[in-house]
Amino acid sequence: MSTRKEHIPKSLHNAVVKWRETFLPDYDYLIENWDRFFPNDRRFELCAFRELGMCDEIECGERTGQPKATRACDLPDDAGRHLLGAIKAQASTEFGSIQQHQLTLSRAQDEEEQFWILRMMAEELRHGYQMLHLLSDDDWAKFSDASGAEMVEEILSMRTGSHILGAFNVDFDSFVDNATFCALIDRVGKYQLAMQKVSAYKPMAESMPEMLREEAFHLLAGTVPLRRWMEKAARGSVYITSEDIQKAINKWLPRGLEMFGDERGGGTNVRFGLKPMKNAEAQEQYCKEVESLVAGINMRFIRARLPEISSARAQEILDQIVQERKTVEGIAWEDLIHLPHPHFFRRRGVPAFELAGWEGESFDDVDEYVRHLKQHLPDAYRAGRDFKHYLELLRQVHAGEIELKAAVRAMPDLRRVGGTCPCSKSVRWVVDEPLPAEGTEPGAEAPA
Amino acid sequence: MASPRQFRCGRIHETSMSGELKIRVLEDTDLNGVTQLDEKLGGGYRPEVWEHRITYYQRRDPEAPVVAEADGKVVGFMLGEVRSGEFGLEEPTGWIEVIGVDPDYRGQAIGRQLAEHILEHFRERGASTVRTLVDEDSEGIAGFFSALGFEPSTLRPFALKL
Ligand SMILES: CC(C)(COP(=O)(O)OP(=O)(O)OC[C@H]1O[C@@H](n2cnc3c(N)ncnc32)[C@H](O)[C@@H]1OP(=O)(O)O)[C@@H](O)C(=O)NCCC(=O)NCCS
Ligand SMILES: [Fe+2]
Ligand SMILES: [Fe+2]
Repeated sequence: MSTRKEHIPKSLHNAVVKWRETFLPDYDYLIENWDRFFPNDRRFELCAFRELGMCDEIECGERTGQPKATRACDLPDDAGRHLLGAIKAQASTEFGSIQQHQLTLSRAQDEEEQFWILRMMAEELRHGYQMLHLLSDDDWAKFSDASGAEMVEEILSMRTGSHILGAFNVDFDSFVDNATFCALIDRVGKYQLAMQKVSAYKPMAESMPEMLREEAFHLLAGTVPLRRWMEKAARGSVYITSEDIQKAINKWLPRGLEMFGDERGGGTNVRFGLKPMKNAEAQEQYCKEVESLVAGINMRFIRARLPEISSARAQEILDQIVQERKTVEGIAWEDLIHLPHPHFFRRRGVPAFELAGWEGESFDDVDEYVRHLKQHLPDAYRAGRDFKHYLELLRQVHAGEIELKAAVRAMPDLRRVGGTCPCSKSVRWVVDEPLPAEGTEPGAEAPA
Repeated sequence: MASPRQFRCGRIHETSMSGELKIRVLEDTDLNGVTQLDEKLGGGYRPEVWEHRITYYQRRDPEAPVVAEADGKVVGFMLGEVRSGEFGLEEPTGWIEVIGVDPDYRGQAIGRQLAEHILEHFRERGASTVRTLVDEDSEGIAGFFSALGFEPSTLRPFALKL
């Protein structure tokens, strides 16, 4: 198992560094304090890692056993277009999550938890860089009119509100969101990366292993704080209550489920050999995993509340509270956290814009449903633009003013600045390089 | 036996069926299972310790730590990593640092399978030697490592009370 280190052309690398200075201003603090929190861990580096020695043959789909494409132009038309869309979406999520985390990073109460998130943000930057490397290292002309540099410019120009996937357009309201996002949304990321490890486009497959390794820590950067907060909540802490965590889960889980794509879809990816599982199958595994995450967090609560009991007894109590919904040893069902029904608060996929309640119960009246949502979502989130946008669409769908299909596709706000649009007020991230000195290849040079 | 590290067209989040034993890479959702097993092995209830330890291994080499799962719970675990430069040993060396098998599941080759998986990973990471330290009083663990082919090393432990 070994990796090869790669860089993107200097002008693009500089664009990412400029982006980092804007959206990840604490990067220098991270590097300066790295050894204090992560002694002897490999230092962070902005680069792409390609895994060596991966499978050369397509591992699933119609062309199983045939050689994987090492260049984009060798992919069949529709597979290539599909893959290009996936790479751009993946890149958008990596950069998008940094913008979200940055909003509330400074509000952490614990220095270690904050530093973990900061490291995770830097690694997301590397993940974005890894995807930009795929875009800039190959020729995508067969599938896109935009050049590699233009695609990079477009991705770097996205903001919360104009990213490709919904979860990355939702603002964070408190540090609870930073941890919940890592525990739930990065977990979806883990599924996407693990599936893309089989990609019929070999450079994509080779990009996944190192990203996946880093993802393991991202999950813990969310899971561990959530567990600690639940323990403190059990001891009566007023800072973060189990209700706060519950509401954050209600806010993020529906977006996480939607990241798998429509429950009826995913067959195309499998056919093209880009992923081994359809959307519903991956989503189902994810749900099981999140159930065990939640059970673990609840155990931390019960053990803290009843320190004298054995772990077997704690398990019994947990099962009883959850299954029978009753108060046991003074711990009520409401004291613990639970997963909302998968149809709750959805805007994409099979249950999009259904009036499905937190427990899956159905509502007839939109206003009544809105009151129900109000009870289950964080106050600060309801005051934000994402919720407003959702409610507007929900009302339009149920008044017959917009087709469901159009509502599902609607973006909150297409403030995607940058690119070549002359009317945009954007900064340009990618600045053309001065002509190279004689004898040097443009772009062949590693960044300074 | 399929390696748990190579994802093919199989599962990403693996759980064991009843009666089945699964050796797989440790995940964040195993925090409870490992904490509980340690408690059963006499370590007491120490969730913070395991959150810290597991985070340490996961951020450095997340494919190294392995767990054994049976009947839906963690019944064994082995933590370790490859390091270079330790004790002047320049070459990459695999270190097995923490092991535990549920007493109800001992003698079923679970420890051996955990070791096989972690050793395979150490090899992939370029290690040519694997080392561990065993307390003189822990004859059982010493017997276990001997059965796996470990031999007493020339590297002798020294300690000084401070
Ligand atoms: C040591 C331990 C890991 C063995 O687990 P296990 O699953 O029962 O071991 P296995 O069944 O895989 O045994 C593998 C080999 O080791 C040998 N072995 C296991 N336990 C042994 C013991 N107590 N004494 C001598 N040999 C032993 C077995 O005989 C077997 O040899 P074989 O394959 O040649 O027949 C387990 O007993 C344990 O967890 N002990 C406590 C660990 C602990 O205290 N950890 C905390 C400090 S790190
Ligand atoms: Fe990422
Ligand atoms: Fe991540």
